[in-house]
Amino acid sequence: MTEKKVVSSEIWTEKYRPKSFDEVVGQDEIVKRLKSLVKSMNIPHLLFVGPPGTGKSTLALIIVKELHGDAWRENYLELNASDERGIDVIRQKVKDFARTRSLSKVPFKVIFLDEADALTREAQQALRRTMENFTQTCRFILSCNYSSKIIDPIQSRCAIFRFRLLSKKDMEKIIQRIAKAEKLEITDEAVEALYEASEGDCRRLINLLQATASISSKITKELVETIVSVAKPSDVRVVLDYALSGDFEKAREKLLDIMLKEGISGLDMIKAIQKEVWHLSIEPELKIKLMEKIGEIEFRLVEGSDEFIQLEVLLASFVLAGIGKSSD
Amino acid sequence: MVSQPLCEKYRPKRFAEILGQDLAIEKLKTFVKRFPAKKAAILYGPAGSGKTSLAYALANELNAELLELNASDFRDKQSFDRIVRPAIQQASLFGKNKIILIDEIDGLTAQDRGGLAELLSLIEKTNYPILLTANDVWDRKFNLLRKKAELIELKPLGYRTIFRLLKYIASKEGIKANDDILKAIAIKARGDARAAINDLQSILETTAVEDIAERDKQEQVFNILRQIFHSKPNNYLLRLMETADINLDELFLWIEENIPTEYEGEELAKAFEMLSKADIFRGRIIRWQYWRFMVYENIFLSYGIAAAKTRAKHGFTAYKRPTRILKIWLANQKNAVRKSIASKYAAYCHISTKKALRDFYLIAFILTNKEIAEKLGLEENEQEFLRELVKKSPKSKITK
Repeated sequence: MTEKKVVSSEIWTEKYRPKSFDEVVGQDEIVKRLKSLVKSMNIPHLLFVGPPGTGKSTLALIIVKELHGDAWRENYLELNASDERGIDVIRQKVKDFARTRSLSKVPFKVIFLDEADALTREAQQALRRTMENFTQTCRFILSCNYSSKIIDPIQSRCAIFRFRLLSKKDMEKIIQRIAKAEKLEITDEAVEALYEASEGDCRRLINLLQATASISSKITKELVETIVSVAKPSDVRVVLDYALSGDFEKAREKLLDIMLKEGISGLDMIKAIQKEVWHLSIEPELKIKLMEKIGEIEFRLVEGSDEFIQLEVLLASFVLAGIGKSSD
Repeated sequence: MVSQPLCEKYRPKRFAEILGQDLAIEKLKTFVKRFPAKKAAILYGPAGSGKTSLAYALANELNAELLELNASDFRDKQSFDRIVRPAIQQASLFGKNKIILIDEIDGLTAQDRGGLAELLSLIEKTNYPILLTANDVWDRKFNLLRKKAELIELKPLGYRTIFRLLKYIASKEGIKANDDILKAIAIKARGDARAAINDLQSILETTAVEDIAERDKQEQVFNILRQIFHSKPNNYLLRLMETADINLDELFLWIEENIPTEYEGEELAKAFEMLSKADIFRGRIIRWQYWRFMVYENIFLSYGIAAAKTRAKHGFTAYKRPTRILKIWLANQKNAVRKSIASKYAAYCHISTKKALRDFYLIAFILTNKEIAEKLGLEENEQEFLRELVKKSPKSKITK
C-alpha cells in the first residue's frame, strides 16, 4: 500500500485512441487504402471485418473527423447492433439522423454500425434497404467480427476491409508509448505478460495496463498476472474436475454459479474450458476428442436458443471422459 | 359471499347455453318431435357433462313444466299413487306442456319394490315425455329399459369447452383468476363441468388459488417425465407433449433438471445430446419463425431422450423442480447495477454493453478512480458497488 498509485482521470482507451491516420499503430495496408479514399472526399459504404480491439471503431472515427473536421459530431451517428432493441429502432434512428443533409463540405453523413453481425438475416435485409434509401445523404460503415455472418447483398454493396490482430511489436509499441506518457515503470517480463493476456485485443491490453496501474505505477509480471487472474472466469477447473469425477450435478451447479455471478457468456465459458483442457490429467487422445466436442458445442451455441443447455452437453462429455470414454 | 352454488347459478337455461353437446341436443329435439313413438329418453354420460341441464333447458325451450321425480317416489304404492300416477296422466296445472325428469336412475335396482319394474310400467302409461338420466346405461339391469327408451349420449366435455365456461363465469363473478389457473382447473376436471365450477368456487372462498393449478400441473409434468425416463422408446411418446397443456419451454427445463436424477454415464451423455438437438431446433424456430421445426424439437425431447436409456426403468422417482430460471432471475437483480455501469462505460468508450460486461473486472479497477467515475456519471451506489467489488477481489493477494 506504500507504493505510489497512478492517478489518471481519463480512461486510457479513449485518451490514447489514435486521432489521425498517422497515429494508428499497425493495419498499415488498411490505413493506406482508407487515406486515399478519404482524400477523394467520397467514400463508398464500408465493411470492417476483424477481431475485437484491432481498430475498427477507431478508424471509423478518424474517417469522419478527416471528412468533416470540427463539424464531425453533427455528421456522425454511432450505433451498436447488439445494444439496440431490434432493427426497427435502428432504422428509426437512421431515418431521424439522415433526414437533414450534411452542412459541411462533404455532402454525406457517416453512420457507424458496430457489431452488425449481431443482426439476424431478416434484420440485415431491412438494413440493406435502409442503406439504399439513404445513399444520397449517408454512408454506412459496418463492423463485424466475421464477414460470413453478413448477408451477401450487403457485402456486395460495401468496400471490405479485413483487420488483423495486432502484432507483438505493435502491441509493445503501444505499451511503451503509454508507459512513457503515464510515467510507469514497467519490466520486460510485464510487457510480455500484458501481451499474452490481451490476445491481440488492443482495447483489452490498454484496460489491463490501466487496471494494473491503478494498483501501482511499478508494473511487474506478478502484478499483471494477479489482475488477469482476478479478471478471468474463475474456477473453470473446479467445474471440470467435478464433471471428470462423475458428479454431473455438482459440476453444472458450479457452472451456472460462475456464469451468473460473473456475468460470463456461454462463448467465453467455452473459450475458458477449451484452454483448461490442456491442463487436465487425461489421455491425449481424449483431449483431442473433447476438443472436437468443444468445437461442435461452440457451433451449436450459435444455432441453439439456450447456451446453458449446450454447455451441459459438454459437461456430460467430460463425465464420460472421466471414465475413459468419449461421447461418440 | 356467494348465496348460491355457482354450478346452480350458472346452470344453462336454454339449448344455446349448453356447451359441447350439439349432437345430444339435436337428438333430444327429434325425440320430442316424434313423441310418443318412444315415450322416454335416457340421457347418459359422465358426471357433469350436462344431463340434468339438458332436461331443464328442454323444458324451457318448450315452455313446459318440468316435473322432477325421485327414485324414492317409486318405493311404496302409496306415494306412487299419490305423486307419480297423477303426474304422468293429469294435465299441467297451468295448462302447460309437461316433461317428467327422473334423475340418476343408476341407483334403481331390478329386485326392489318400486324399482325398475315400476319405472317400466310408468313409461307404458305416460302421456308426457319422460327423461331419464344415467351415468352407465349399459348396465345389464337396464336391458329392457334400453329397448323402450331413446338413448342420447352426452360426451365428456373437452377441457377447452370447460375453460371457456370457467372464463365466462369468472368474468361474470368478477373473479380475477389468470388463464393458466382456469386452464389447470379445466384440465383437472376431466370433462366434468360441475367439478370445475366447484373448484372455481373454492377459489372464491379460499386463497389457495395457486395450489389447485400447481398441484395439477405438477402431476401432469411428473407423468410426462416418468413416460420419458422410464419407458422404452415407443410411438406413443411422439404425441406425449400434446396430451398435456404445459408450455414446452417449461417442460424443457423440467427435463433438463431431471436427466441426471435418472441417467448417468453414457445414458446421461446421450440424453443431453438429444436435449442439445432439441434446443438447436428451438433456436431455429426463433430465428426463422418456422414453427414446423417444433415437430423435431418435440421428438428429440420425448422419443430421443427415452431412447438414451439401455433398458426400461422402474420405481418411483421424486422429480426436482427446475431452479435455473429462478437463479437467473435472482442474479439479474444483482447484476442490474453491473449492467448500468457497463452501459455508461460502453457509451463513453464506443463499445457495446455486452463487450463492456465481458471485461467488467478490468473496467472495475479503472472506474474506481473517482474522477473517471464522475466523468461517466456513475451514481453513488454504483461507485460503492465498484469499490466493494475491487475490495473483495483478491486484493489481499494484490497488496502482498
